[in-house]
Amino acid sequence: MEQESFCANDSLESVINAYSNMVYRLAFSHTRDRCSANDIYQEVFLRYIRKRPQFETEKHRKAWLIRVTVNCCRKMWTSSWKKKIVPLDESIIFETKEETNLHYELQKLPVKYRTVIHLFYYEDLKVEEIGEILHKKPSTVRAQLTRARSKLKEILKEGYDV
Amino acid sequence: MFREEYRKMNERIFPDQEIVNKVIESINKPHREANKSIALLRKSVAIAAVIAIITLTVTTALAANVPIVYQLMYAVSPSVAQFFMPVRKSCVDNGIKMEVVSAYIHDNTAEIYITMQDITGDRIDNTIDLYDSYSINRPFDSSATCELVGFDEASKTATFLISITEWGNKKIEGDKITFSVREFISHKRMYKDIPVEVDMGSIESNPPTMEVNPGGGGGRKYREFIPDYRRTANVLVPSDSMGFQIEDFKLTGIGYIDGFLHVQASIKRNMVGDNFGYFILKDKNGKEINCVCNFDFSVKEDDDIKYTEYIFEVPPSEIEQYSLYGYYVATGLYTKGYWQVTFPLEKQDLEDDEKNTISATIN
Repeated sequence: MEQESFCANDSLESVINAYSNMVYRLAFSHTRDRCSANDIYQEVFLRYIRKRPQFETEKHRKAWLIRVTVNCCRKMWTSSWKKKIVPLDESIIFETKEETNLHYELQKLPVKYRTVIHLFYYEDLKVEEIGEILHKKPSTVRAQLTRARSKLKEILKEGYDV
Repeated sequence: MFREEYRKMNERIFPDQEIVNKVIESINKPHREANKSIALLRKSVAIAAVIAIITLTVTTALAANVPIVYQLMYAVSPSVAQFFMPVRKSCVDNGIKMEVVSAYIHDNTAEIYITMQDITGDRIDNTIDLYDSYSINRPFDSSATCELVGFDEASKTATFLISITEWGNKKIEGDKITFSVREFISHKRMYKDIPVEVDMGSIESNPPTMEVNPGGGGGRKYREFIPDYRRTANVLVPSDSMGFQIEDFKLTGIGYIDGFLHVQASIKRNMVGDNFGYFILKDKNGKEINCVCNFDFSVKEDDDIKYTEYIFEVPPSEIEQYSLYGYYVATGLYTKGYWQVTFPLEKQDLEDDEKNTISATIN
């Protein structure tokens, strides 16, 4: 089952550097707090370092990292430890008032919609690609996106074209 | 526009360098328990041939009474195998049986052997891939991995080794964990090292190009070709066919753009979505050159054809020294179900009858 790595020469360090922002932003989009995103970020790469998975393409490496990040996010919400803690208020300094407001408004979006919104609007993945990574049918992803957009329209009062 | 605002907001979000450094520093940190687990896995690969011989030479009674996983465990490492205790909890769904065979708890680490067997058909083979669809629920903070370590052709049984390490250095004995699997892929068809018959000496240096919006991608120089601030990329205009095809994987273009070799392929999307292919270059000594960037794109909305552009960093003056090869992996079967087993992490008395019986029979 050993597969050839598409980027066999890529060291663990270069992979971590290349995908740090992607993993962290996805974790943050899900948790919307730095403290939890830090924990998830570390767990994802700890798993990567321990497992040292081999991939035939970078696309598969990216898909693996996205999927593991999403799994870690889900685990965080179900862990008894998470239920008992209050995250530290480590705010991110956004450049504009609009960005700050958007960050706070997105906290109102149900957790179940945050991942598809991020993968669609930030990672620019197509519905089919999101389905492949999350192991959901494209129709399920499409339905989630529709419901998420509808929620966003309710939440965002600034007249964003969602 | 929401997309633009969301993108701008996300550009301000990144991990503290301190955390990135901490993760990078952990790469080379010795980890006794993790190393033990890795050593076990490495041995399992190396002794695959030994397992086959053992399978052929053990007695019929042994084959009937001792699960193949015990043979695997003892062949991998007899000194560790004796500490694995039987669990024997199973779950059947969609004609496939998942069984937690044995577990070894030591300090803050649990190693667990799990088998999956198709009891009604032939859906499990040595290409089985849980594709991260498995889930390990446990009531403590930990990291966990699951690896395929063996496949028994006769009983169509795949064996997986799960390793769980608790993070706080606490003993995990007495806790319960739940292992579940929702789907898997199997019967993959793999095509490797397929020569692409193109004249490397007459690659177009000024091919027709077009601008696309890249989807997913990667590679060492991905961000150089597609930086955060630019969401378009220049690609070859796809041709219908260039004479190279492996199943649904077709070469649709090759040419130089801005001094970089672009090789383009199309692939038909499928419901399972795990078919994938790629190209590599090899020099006359067989040394492989991977692309420095690759990304997907579509030509038409809702098209079931996905294109991938592979970009290689080989100057035109040297390209004749290389040959192009295609690789393709096609998913055969996609099986859904829900297999879940909950079991306690328990240490058992070393004098346990069953363990002694197994040990005596194997040795």
